[in-house]
Amino acid sequence: MLAALEPAAHRYRFQQGARRRSSVTYLDTVDRRLRKKGLSLRYESDSDSEVLVASAPDGIDTTELGEAPVWPALAEQLPAGSVADRVGPAMWVRAVAPVVETEVVSREITARNEDDKIVARLHWQEATANGSPTLARVSLDPLRGYAADAERIARLLADSGEFVVPERSLAEVWLRHAADDEVERRPTITAGMRADVAVATALLGFLDAIERNVAGTIDDVDTEFLHDLRVAVRRSRSVLKLTGDALPERLVARGARELKWLGDATTPTRDLDVYLLELDELATRLTVGTRADLDDFATHLHWERTVARRSLVRALQSKRFERWCESWRQSLTEIVSSGGSEQSGSVEELARDRVRVAYKRVLKRANAITPDCPGERVHSLRKRAKELRYLLEMFAPVCDRKPHRAVVKNLKRVQDILGAVQDGEVQSASLRVFAERMLDRRSASAATLLAMGELSAGFAGEQRQARDELTDALPGFLGSSVHKRVTAMLP
Amino acid sequence: MKIVASYNVKGGVGKTSTAVNLAYLSAADGRRTLLWDLDPQGAATFLFRIKPRVKGGSAKLVSGTRPIEAGLKGTDYPRLDLLPADFTYRNMDIDLAHSKKLTLGTLLDGLADEYDVVFLDTPPSLSLVSENVLRAADVVLVPIIPTVLAVRTYDQLTDFVASFNGHHPTLHAFFSMTDRRKSLHRSVLTDLPQQRTGISPTAIPAASLIEQMTVRREPVPVYAPHSTATKAYRSLWTELSDLLG
Repeated sequence: MLAALEPAAHRYRFQQGARRRSSVTYLDTVDRRLRKKGLSLRYESDSDSEVLVASAPDGIDTTELGEAPVWPALAEQLPAGSVADRVGPAMWVRAVAPVVETEVVSREITARNEDDKIVARLHWQEATANGSPTLARVSLDPLRGYAADAERIARLLADSGEFVVPERSLAEVWLRHAADDEVERRPTITAGMRADVAVATALLGFLDAIERNVAGTIDDVDTEFLHDLRVAVRRSRSVLKLTGDALPERLVARGARELKWLGDATTPTRDLDVYLLELDELATRLTVGTRADLDDFATHLHWERTVARRSLVRALQSKRFERWCESWRQSLTEIVSSGGSEQSGSVEELARDRVRVAYKRVLKRANAITPDCPGERVHSLRKRAKELRYLLEMFAPVCDRKPHRAVVKNLKRVQDILGAVQDGEVQSASLRVFAERMLDRRSASAATLLAMGELSAGFAGEQRQARDELTDALPGFLGSSVHKRVTAMLP
Repeated sequence: MKIVASYNVKGGVGKTSTAVNLAYLSAADGRRTLLWDLDPQGAATFLFRIKPRVKGGSAKLVSGTRPIEAGLKGTDYPRLDLLPADFTYRNMDIDLAHSKKLTLGTLLDGLADEYDVVFLDTPPSLSLVSENVLRAADVVLVPIIPTVLAVRTYDQLTDFVASFNGHHPTLHAFFSMTDRRKSLHRSVLTDLPQQRTGISPTAIPAASLIEQMTVRREPVPVYAPHSTATKAYRSLWTELSDLLG
């Protein structure tokens, strides 16, 4: 090790410290939120200490741990300190869990000047993960007031040709490896595919997403596992409904039935999750009541969630679900492996045809919306808009990218307003149901019921406002420019 | 941020040894610590193997034209930095007199977020610099050699600090360079704590091990962690730590 530092040895005396072994576990949320925001989180442990380290482009935070942490962990479960403050907002409601576990052998080497004063510390690290090749890194920490010496040492080492400045930190290297593995596994539609193969490929991707989120949902790691599972179920159902005729009829019939069963099994828990996630924010809207007034409501929601989750977990652990996943995957894989039926058209033909139909349906329902029309019409438009969105996203690989992106962006905006209209209506109605159940169980105080009433009134007001916004936004979506973009993006 | 001065109007009583060893123990105890070597002779700076030079010298530092942060140097020990001595500090009295607004205390205010404790190693004199130090300090450590004249000097210091308006630093005197073979030392060590308040029960011995600091250029606890001298400094640090809170 010291021999490698020979190029700088005529100016500095290097002295190496003891060898240190440590374990370094890199953590992230399952959707890699920290990495996407330029953050990395690691848990380092050796015989002396355990620390949590958050790295960001503008600095590093460290929190020493009194005891071994438990993973996965939500932001509020991280030990209080600067690390939690740094990564908490980026984690949102998602839990962090180990992504890569590495073993590190390190040494500190001090560089001393002619007065035998330490001017810089070099950290020599050799890291491995799951039998991968060893990665060696030397980092240089100047002591305060000795930046010039550190720069000189860095220059001498770089000039020797034995050292190169790495493009990425160790954290980035390991996390990139993990990300590459994930991308490789994802099935995607490609141009020229037969329609049945394209539909089966999309459904396989959604099945992957369903299965990827089952364990996290059963273990209740965070609420978004269930959310993502439900999205994959909804996407699958939409694809079956709008393009299922490209697949064998019996397969589609069984798939539709089982996916509906799965969707229904997940709804109660998700509805309660939404309430619990929003409770603190809802409390800020109270003008007469206080957050404490909602405590009984929160307790009731937790109780209902516990009951709902029991059914959900039973469904996800059932033989029915297991068998369907197996046979669904097998059937879809067979279609993909066969290269598709000769009678089947191309994915491009399918995309052209189905997107146009779905778009027309949305337009028809959107045209029927007025500020005072029944809520069912808005609900129906929301469902059709959602179907169109899923279809657009499924066919994205064969569409022209730029107009496709613009159409999706436009649709997203309309969906957000539709969501606000309907959520306000649903939440207002379900507050009444919750209040009745709480009264039945004698678990509601007068203050809680009053606060819930205040929330209900608030939802009704927001819904009215969202209806006005919807009426204003729809002409933009129905306009000729959007129609042109839809035409332009299709293959 | 707390400011601790190691001060005595007399020279050669162990001010620098005290400042260096206690600053080291403070940092080892987990406090972010700075030692400012205000003595132009630069003994503390020498002990940490740092060159006695501050760019711009006393004039720019005291006038605030060069930020104090620019002169800081990391020592070989975690959490312990040093603001080195500079030969121009011999003119610091004049520089302070010219600087109508800035005092040593206000200069240090800018470091409040960076350090928990700042030690000031002062030159042996009663000057504008030492008055600034005494006014800025929360605690003044006063090493006393157990002799009658040294005690008299301590009394003069007590009276001087008592004459301050507003903030009064806590004076914490302790016996330094004690030699129990000398009857005068033994008698002062016994009698003075009964006659005066603010006298520490800790006595730093006159030990060749402490003198070796200048040869080894390290704090005593680094090269003699189990020695009597280190135990005495640790005991003094515990007292000081309690005073700092």
